[in-house]
Amino acid sequence: MRVSPWVVPVLVIIAAVLGIGGARFLAAPSFTRDYAAAAGARVETVRFVVRGLKCVDTARQVAGQFADEPGVLRCVARASRNEAQVTYDAAVTGPQALRAAIEGPVVDEASGRIVFHQFEVRSIDGAAIR
Amino acid sequence: MAGRVSTLQRVRLALQVGVAAAALIAGVRLARGWSLAGVEKYCPFGGLETAWSFVTRRSFSCAAGELNLALFLALLGLTLVARKAFCSWVCPVGSVNEWIFRLVRRTGARLPLEPAPRTDRALRWLRLPVLGVILFFTWRTGELVFRGCDPYYILTSAHGHEVKLWSYAILAAVLALGVVVPMAWCRYLCPLGITLWPFSALGRLRLRHAVSRCTACAACSRACPHGIDVAGSTEVRSGECTLCLECTEACPAAGALELRLEGTKP
Repeated sequence: MRVSPWVVPVLVIIAAVLGIGGARFLAAPSFTRDYAAAAGARVETVRFVVRGLKCVDTARQVAGQFADEPGVLRCVARASRNEAQVTYDAAVTGPQALRAAIEGPVVDEASGRIVFHQFEVRSIDGAAIR
Repeated sequence: MAGRVSTLQRVRLALQVGVAAAALIAGVRLARGWSLAGVEKYCPFGGLETAWSFVTRRSFSCAAGELNLALFLALLGLTLVARKAFCSWVCPVGSVNEWIFRLVRRTGARLPLEPAPRTDRALRWLRLPVLGVILFFTWRTGELVFRGCDPYYILTSAHGHEVKLWSYAILAAVLALGVVVPMAWCRYLCPLGITLWPFSALGRLRLRHAVSRCTACAACSRACPHGIDVAGSTEVRSGECTLCLECTEACPAAGALELRLEGTKP
């Protein structure tokens, strides 16, 4: 069947829309770290957008920032979205404490050096931080 | 149709310029700290690079993510219908190569040189080891280790992460190669191009050559940036066809070249 050449750009645009729209169905974390069991905890989840969270290594580092933070149950870091989703016991900790943990000094595993200002929280649950 | 630029080709140019500009802006915004989204997020080849990690571990490699994978899958779907249309309508590296091809041809120089068909066919297989090496090391390390050699990334990342001085030397070499041989990167080195090739060969949209209406001027073959012998075949079956439609644009005989959807009734 003869078709108009205009079908080509139309198909290109349809593919782009399907690709961008379909991304949500393929979401997967870059790194997940479980800290504690949730039994008896007042479980809440908060989502941080973090500058510096851009690959699997930095996702691992962000998730590792809660090692000394009481009340953290789980951290799921997604480098593709610059996002860390933290599940915590609201009776023990809260978003601001978690933000401080993320923005705290980072120990670089390879060199053993302490790195400051590696991560900066840009938004908490969609609310931008000024 | 020959002699003046059609609206369709103007739209194609607008799309190419738009995508290249959007990628550049995204690169500058990331480099200046105005945005956290880099140019890598929109590269479908990143989807192929991270596919193994996604299938086996349900996680992504390095900075690649779900958008890369979804765009790659959508691109496969597009290719099964519209051949390698992505290469000539969207890809910024393909666009830059095409602009170089046009520019050099307009100068009246003897460049770019169209290689002999046999040499051309043999050189196209170079893309296979390029693809193999990239996928092997990416899957093995979980990192986008060849980022610094990727012309798309070097062009659009505004001196992004892992772009070194030698990266610009690679980019310059790729562009210079495009001056000598038309679309050299796309034809002989692009790993995405070889990935799409088998799917493109199955693509349902094909250019049909009506020999009865043809004036045998071979303007279509000369216009093809990918060196496909359009004039010498009744149907363009090559998996290298990007449906840029430069051949139909160059054809002086009305109806001698037409786009058809195969597998449907005439």
